[in-house]
Amino acid sequence: MNKIRYPLLAAAVVAWTLSGLSACAVTGVGVEGDVGYDGGYAGDYYEPYGYEYGGWGGGYRVGPGRDGHRDDHGGGPRGGGHAPAYRPAPAGRSAPSLPSGSRGGGRGR
Amino acid sequence: MRRFESLLCAVIFATASTGAHAASFDLPPLNAPPSAEHHAGKVVWADLVTPDLGVAEKFYGGLFGWQFQSVHAGGSDYAVALLDGRPIGGLVQKPIPPGEHRQSAWLTFIAVRDVDMVKRTAVAHKAKVLVDSKSYPRRGRQAVLADPEGAVFAIVASSSGDSPDYLAEPGDWIWSSLHAKDAGTEAAFYQDLFGYDVYDLSGDDGLEHVILSTDDVARASANQQPDNAPQRHAHWLNYIRVQDATDVAAKAVMMGGKMLVQPHPDRHGGLVAVVADPAGAPIGLMEWSENDTQVAPK
Repeated sequence: MNKIRYPLLAAAVVAWTLSGLSACAVTGVGVEGDVGYDGGYAGDYYEPYGYEYGGWGGGYRVGPGRDGHRDDHGGGPRGGGHAPAYRPAPAGRSAPSLPSGSRGGGRGR
Repeated sequence: MRRFESLLCAVIFATASTGAHAASFDLPPLNAPPSAEHHAGKVVWADLVTPDLGVAEKFYGGLFGWQFQSVHAGGSDYAVALLDGRPIGGLVQKPIPPGEHRQSAWLTFIAVRDVDMVKRTAVAHKAKVLVDSKSYPRRGRQAVLADPEGAVFAIVASSSGDSPDYLAEPGDWIWSSLHAKDAGTEAAFYQDLFGYDVYDLSGDDGLEHVILSTDDVARASANQQPDNAPQRHAHWLNYIRVQDATDVAAKAVMMGGKMLVQPHPDRHGGLVAVVADPAGAPIGLMEWSENDTQVAPK
């Protein structure tokens, strides 16, 4: 029976050891950031307090236009005459809009 | 003796099998069923951090018909918001320590293929890492960053792919806007990260407005903040599609929220409004119907 008993005990110890190594691995030892489980969520970031939101003027427009809408897109910011910090889309292309296809079964609200 | 050793083995095996998962926080996938699509640069998720999960659930459930699925594990209380049974966002409860003033807000998640690569690119372009990259097996890998002006956003490589490009249903996210002092420079930063095509749609308000797109779909806008108030900081804002922005905004106020921007027509012809939830988190409301008429540039 001894031949059976000791391997069983050894297997249990090996499993426990591997579990410990696994725990080290999932907490991010030697890798960028963390990998795997931990005790809580890591996206719960509050913004700074004391700032104002809103206060837009009547002509302050933030949404997309309709499909094929060219608006006044001219390949760069208007009025300033200087090159934009970004690489503008080609002047001949219309600014895209939202997708038109529906997932189906939309509800009224 | 044999019974003792058997018991010892059982205890060791039990410890081994549960030890790694004792404090697990297993977030559900962003897409159920999973998607085979990937859309880098698409806003694919939003998480609200709030001091009172119950109040937030009542507000958003009453306003948009969302239902909630609780995930209690480790040190966090998290609720997945569902629209018609489909996960669309998350609410996480986090107490604000006494004496501290912090602002509840929705955190905008933008899709990437490789979180760590994009994070390094962001840092090289003057972003800060607020929460380092972390993997949740079923959700994917994510990190929280602040852009060069301090607007907070998250990047996520979803384990379940990115949702296909459909027009949002009422009650779902339809749009996102970035508000910053220098919209053009901010647009350049996000272009470097996500490969956006950038279209200038500045109006006659003298402020810079650009559309950020990928896959020939408009993903978000970057907008220069009006400089008539000094107490502003750069931030992302996400919009829910509604059928009547005036009605929903009024209801939000009745339910303990606050009106931040009165309903007014936007570029596409529908009304846009901004309200704050009872904890102060701003959220946009956007009408989008097939019958709206394009607003001509002034």
